[in-house]
Amino acid sequence: MAVNKQIPAHNRRGRKGLAWVLGLAVCLVVIAPAAMAAKYDVVAPGGSHDGEDVEQPIEFPHNIHVKDNDINCMYCHTYARRSKVAGIPPTSKCMGCHKMVATDKPRIKKLTEYWENKESPPWKKVTDLPDFVHFTHEVHLKTLLFDREFPVENAKEICALCHGEVENMTVAKKVKPLNMGWCVNCHIENQELGAPGDCWKCHK
Amino acid sequence: MSLDNILNNWSDYRKAAEDGGFYDSEGNHPYEHRWTMSINLDLCNGCNACSTACYAENNLAFVGKERFEKGHAMNWMRIERYWDDQEKDYPEKGASFLPMMCQQCGSATCEPVCPVAATYHTPDGLNAQVYNRCIGSRYCSNNCPYRVRYFNFYSYYDDAWPEPMQQQLNPDISVRDKGVMEKCTFCVQRIRSAKEKAKMEDRAVRDGEAMPACAQSCPTSAIVFGDTLDENSAISKLWKKHQVKRNVAHQDKENPEMRGYRIFEELNVDPSVMYLERVREDV
Repeated sequence: MAVNKQIPAHNRRGRKGLAWVLGLAVCLVVIAPAAMAAKYDVVAPGGSHDGEDVEQPIEFPHNIHVKDNDINCMYCHTYARRSKVAGIPPTSKCMGCHKMVATDKPRIKKLTEYWENKESPPWKKVTDLPDFVHFTHEVHLKTLLFDREFPVENAKEICALCHGEVENMTVAKKVKPLNMGWCVNCHIENQELGAPGDCWKCHK
Repeated sequence: MSLDNILNNWSDYRKAAEDGGFYDSEGNHPYEHRWTMSINLDLCNGCNACSTACYAENNLAFVGKERFEKGHAMNWMRIERYWDDQEKDYPEKGASFLPMMCQQCGSATCEPVCPVAATYHTPDGLNAQVYNRCIGSRYCSNNCPYRVRYFNFYSYYDDAWPEPMQQQLNPDISVRDKGVMEKCTFCVQRIRSAKEKAKMEDRAVRDGEAMPACAQSCPTSAIVFGDTLDENSAISKLWKKHQVKRNVAHQDKENPEMRGYRIFEELNVDPSVMYLERVREDV
């Protein structure tokens, strides 16, 4: 049963040695040393995509929140570990801080205006999958983050596997292909982590 | 890349399809689950609740009277009626009902004939139909002895769900378009969510957790659904009690009085649905 499938204790660094070294050399990002601290290795999906710039109602600066202030992705996108979708935080969550923080900035003034009018900013979806695809954030986070005993404070490195380095973006942008071949390649590479290869796991 | 994968490993795909099963590299059947169903015909009163529930759950299009007459209806779960001899007396006179849906055969005849491997056997013992891969050749439908595969002859989206009825569509299953074959999936979206819930809680799927819409809506609980790999599930006990075995073309029962049987099992398709014969007083 998939449920009882044990994640093999041996890691894949032996077989993937060359790829690992190459990967280290190419992407000298935080992913590599942090992933080594985790229980099992994950082969990061390759490939990139140049998505369109999405015009959001408020130009939300991910970099200030994530990089400068070190806020965990799952503080705002709290549904990622609980449901299929990562979710957009309610405006009340923004106001939890921004009643006090940076209230004089123009973007925060705009946010406060939405809040006082009891409206939510009409955020636009950046990473959208086709309707025939079943994707669930919670199972991916369980496998890649919690079961691997990956340090939760570095969760952004797990999110970055599919969402890119959002910490360096202002408004988020789609930077990974998120198409079938890309998903399947990652599932093939990480079969030992229990990544399923069945069509009906994703096609619905 | 994935197309390369299919083309390079074509013989493996074919092997799984032609041998009627799902094989690993050692040639074993590593079934994770074996979803099966039992339908008690003595309890079935032909009310069509299962069929209605199926329409609601699986985004089945209402094709309209004209297309229905042409045989374009796509009722994944249908109630077949068999009329009795007119000379019989009440209460035996009347119709016998037989709910018929995809039997999720262990060695399905639909699978090996698909030219694009759009229908295949899953590790759960189900016959999957991948709508994106289907090119609508209809070989599978013509090779199915149960006639339970339905073809989309028309793009029903606008007609079947006029505004605002599209809001009732189930988001867990796609809306099929013209030129695609479709069939009963044993409500795979419900199985999927049950499995995911179990995985999140680090446990096995409990008996009764995954339940298709037809079994849930049956007012007389004639339909029992479950995993026969789980020895303690209700469905396992039922199959054992009625001495119906899998992977055989002929049941050799110790007690022939037991009512369980499988339709067309002599064709060696190994259907996953067991029917319990109706008890007639004059028999």
